[in-house]
Amino acid sequence: MLVKIKNNIEEISRICDIVRNFCVQNGVSDEKYHDVVLILDELITNIISYAYPDGGERFFDLSLEKNDQYIVMNVIDDGIPFDPSSQADPDVDSSIEERQLGGLGIFMVKQLSEVIEYSRVDDQNRLCVKVALCNKNKEENHGD
Amino acid sequence: MEIKIAEEDGITVVTPVGRVDTSTSKAFEDGVMSAVASGKKLAIRFNEIDYMSSAGLRVVLMAGKKLTASGGALALIDMPEKIFSVFRISGFDKILKIFPNLAESKEFFN
Repeated sequence: MLVKIKNNIEEISRICDIVRNFCVQNGVSDEKYHDVVLILDELITNIISYAYPDGGERFFDLSLEKNDQYIVMNVIDDGIPFDPSSQADPDVDSSIEERQLGGLGIFMVKQLSEVIEYSRVDDQNRLCVKVALCNKNKEENHGD
Repeated sequence: MEIKIAEEDGITVVTPVGRVDTSTSKAFEDGVMSAVASGKKLAIRFNEIDYMSSAGLRVVLMAGKKLTASGGALALIDMPEKIFSVFRISGFDKILKIFPNLAESKEFFN
């Protein structure tokens, strides 16, 4: 499935509805829907907020697919270069006083996904993120 | 999005409804911060939200920081597993207090 997204934060709600429908139609569990919608929220919010510093109406692409193993998300934008996979992780062991407010979004994308691949091709950021359909990922899972 | 704010046994309970994302986090922030300003005992209830992005987590952390600094208390209650997983990944389960429900947070507030 292909979706064209405008660089406007109001788009988030429309994308959530699209992802919800996609997951329902493809028999994706509520738990995985939650992970996918959270990942896309973070990625799309980042692009809308930072990829086009000069402003103006711009569009970028999202594709969403399900295969036997994964839900595969491809996000392609022609904004300024940004590689989410190389961002430093926040210190999740710091105290509440020391804990910084930022940097969590990309960290969650990394933690909730199995594969995250970035390339810069033809002045485009191309990001592929895969969420495993079954729970054999790096986080320990409850009751599975 | 809707934010419900109620007083339950001397505790201000804030309940966001729907999605807490970048486009709605300002309303969530306004609701939580007005409760932080007016009350020393705050609970945030999570069983009426679809998901919470990092924009919402930021607001929860901000409330926790302010209440810790001012001698108040923040409890996070009625958190479904999918939302809890986000708090666990973020390491917030180690710096914020999470309880199954309001009744079980009473001792903490007292």
